[in-house]
Amino acid sequence: MGVVAEIERKLAAQRCRQKEDDLPDLRTSTMTHLVWAPPEWLGRAKRVLDGLAERHPARTIFLVPLGGRSARIEADATVRAFAVDGNRELISEVVEIRLHGKASRHPGSLVAPLLISDLPVFCRWRGRPEWRGTALEELVEVADRLVVDSTEWGSGVPGAYAELARRFDQVAASDIAWRRTLPWRVALADRWPGIRTMRRLSVEGPLADSLLLVGWLRSRLRREISLSRRASDRVDAVRVDGDVVELPAAPPASGSDLLSAELDSYSRDPVYEAAVRAAAKR
Amino acid sequence: MANPLEVGLGVRRTPDPCAVVVFGASGDLTKRKLFPALYSLAYRRLLPERFAVVGIARTEESTRQFLTSMRKAVKEFARDPFRSDVFESLAAGVRYVATDFADDEGEDRIGDVLRELDRTRGTGGNRLYYLAVPPPAFPIVIREVGERREREGWARVIVEKPFGHDLASARELTASIRRWFAEDELFRIDHYLGKETVQNLMALRFANGIFEPLWNRQLIDHVQITVAETMGIEGRAGYYEQAGAIRDIFQNHLLQLLALTAMEPPIDFTAEAVRNEKVKVLRAMHTPGPKSVVRGQYGRGFVDGEEVASYREEPGVDPRSLTETYIAAKLYVDNWRWADTPFYVRAGKRLARRETTIAIQFKQAPHPPFEAIAGDGLRPNTLVVHVQPDEGVSLAIGAKVPGAGMSIRTVHMDFLYGGAFREGVPEAYERLILDAMLGDQTLFTREDEVEEQWKLVDAMVGAWSRDRPSFPNYAAGSWGPSLADELLHRDGRSWRRH
Repeated sequence: MGVVAEIERKLAAQRCRQKEDDLPDLRTSTMTHLVWAPPEWLGRAKRVLDGLAERHPARTIFLVPLGGRSARIEADATVRAFAVDGNRELISEVVEIRLHGKASRHPGSLVAPLLISDLPVFCRWRGRPEWRGTALEELVEVADRLVVDSTEWGSGVPGAYAELARRFDQVAASDIAWRRTLPWRVALADRWPGIRTMRRLSVEGPLADSLLLVGWLRSRLRREISLSRRASDRVDAVRVDGDVVELPAAPPASGSDLLSAELDSYSRDPVYEAAVRAAAKR
Repeated sequence: MANPLEVGLGVRRTPDPCAVVVFGASGDLTKRKLFPALYSLAYRRLLPERFAVVGIARTEESTRQFLTSMRKAVKEFARDPFRSDVFESLAAGVRYVATDFADDEGEDRIGDVLRELDRTRGTGGNRLYYLAVPPPAFPIVIREVGERREREGWARVIVEKPFGHDLASARELTASIRRWFAEDELFRIDHYLGKETVQNLMALRFANGIFEPLWNRQLIDHVQITVAETMGIEGRAGYYEQAGAIRDIFQNHLLQLLALTAMEPPIDFTAEAVRNEKVKVLRAMHTPGPKSVVRGQYGRGFVDGEEVASYREEPGVDPRSLTETYIAAKLYVDNWRWADTPFYVRAGKRLARRETTIAIQFKQAPHPPFEAIAGDGLRPNTLVVHVQPDEGVSLAIGAKVPGAGMSIRTVHMDFLYGGAFREGVPEAYERLILDAMLGDQTLFTREDEVEEQWKLVDAMVGAWSRDRPSFPNYAAGSWGPSLADELLHRDGRSWRRH
């Protein structure tokens, strides 16, 4: 039995088992959610999925690239049930495919038959993509939206932004780092029209977030703006020409909340794309 | 020059700074709906930063006492978890004024409090008055508020249903409000229009190419609209004895649901475009004859396993009351799209199940080759919009039973609203209060809509004055009087199976 058939058999068996609790099942899928998760990212990726709970009923497929000389594929499939209104259960499917050796370079043929027909495909790529690799190429081919988090790319930015920008015509892309900057962008937008002549942005925060903020300001205000940065794990402070930008106090969004927001976006985001292009320029 | 930084932020429009002034602040509506809705708006940061709430009622209590009861109400009724910081930030702008609505001195005190809030909270003279008071108090409150209307800022009034008791009183009420407020400052609330599923009806019809071509007399056999409640009158005998089911539900919720089901596609989703189309439907409806209307009143029975009293035994109800607690009618919309297609509508209290649905029953397949073997299993295709509970849409289709032979069964394809979208389904009042703060009247009823609704109701009620129904005529916990079943049986149809 092939891997795909085996996964489908396991899912069908799990769905039957779920029915034993007498609650009617409801499989309302809204997407196929691919997660490219190298082993060092897998734990975090699973925790984010747990945090999503039933917010985006989907078939989630974890693709775990592993080393090894021989090509080998292992797969597990589970069905998760979430109570809805106390008298129904909502079903989500989670598939984990471990790709050994050469198999990790060609996930496309495994993924294609497992996609849910007629629904969008989101691909969350954990870590820094191999821009020239076949795996990214094949997944971008089947995905409608590529979701990355450029803070996971370390010092790879801003060079990696140029690589990402090359994919914009191929797949709609979004960046959790960009989503994280939203409250700051709102606060900066509130400074209009005074901000239109700004020259200098100072950020205490991660490199990716800082570059995206300055890229956004450069592209929207159509002017040269310099960036000075002090490293921090998250954006703690922003200054415009030395003036502190106040941010309304709010609890920081969790990784699951941030991903959830990205999974609600379907189309290309020209503002983001322009910010990335501007951020790519040193 | 427009702010280029706002593009793509997806930030919703924020209302102007304002004060929401709730008349009837000690009532059930404020506790169960209004304050929890304001809390949820605050929770999502949808309120303006400079914001205040003034609660007004006769009950003698301080602002602190009022807030204590609102805190409890939020914990009990809000859809969001309680967060002290959110509540406290809202509470900082709350004031309570104990006064009789007709008391000039009390009204002056309200003015003082509002001016104080303009100074301390920066509400800019903008006022949203919410009349959560019994209908007889509407003209008094409107007069007192209108006489004190200030030049600075905007003023809007939200009026709860029922808007009037008949056409004449509705016109009179409009006239009394229009002395002080223009039509675009008047927000007649029908909270059904704020429900996500009611708005989803428009999305279903006008965002999906497959439905609209089927949405007409050629392919639809009939439409059934049900607004069923299991509750009794919940201590509101004074109101309900005067209103009955026809004024409580039929005149507003039912006719609005019908108008949304039958209307033509609006050219856009602006208030005027949507309401223009709804009013055309209401104008195209003709008055049903006496044989097309069924009235009912519940007797004793069992609801949720518990024995409940008859309507006439409810506290405050006349033991010989002829007020209807149930109404069913066969209505027609006389236009090109719907001519000869019946709309069967029903609403009632103490029915078997709480349910609001719109069921579109399509015509049978013209020549189903399986007819001989389908038996009872094959029913016409029905598209059901579940407004509440189990919000969503289901489509009944015929499918082959697995196995030898060709047995056909009706199965349901369900879209459960909560199954695909697990968050962000706001309570109707959140949406409507926010829209009123933004000045958006799309989900509020316009003067001509209300008048058309009353014209129909007045004509129906006028016919009732000539007969004396034999009440009670249905048991609490049932699906209403048998006469309502006959209404459909005469046409070879039946109410949807539950």
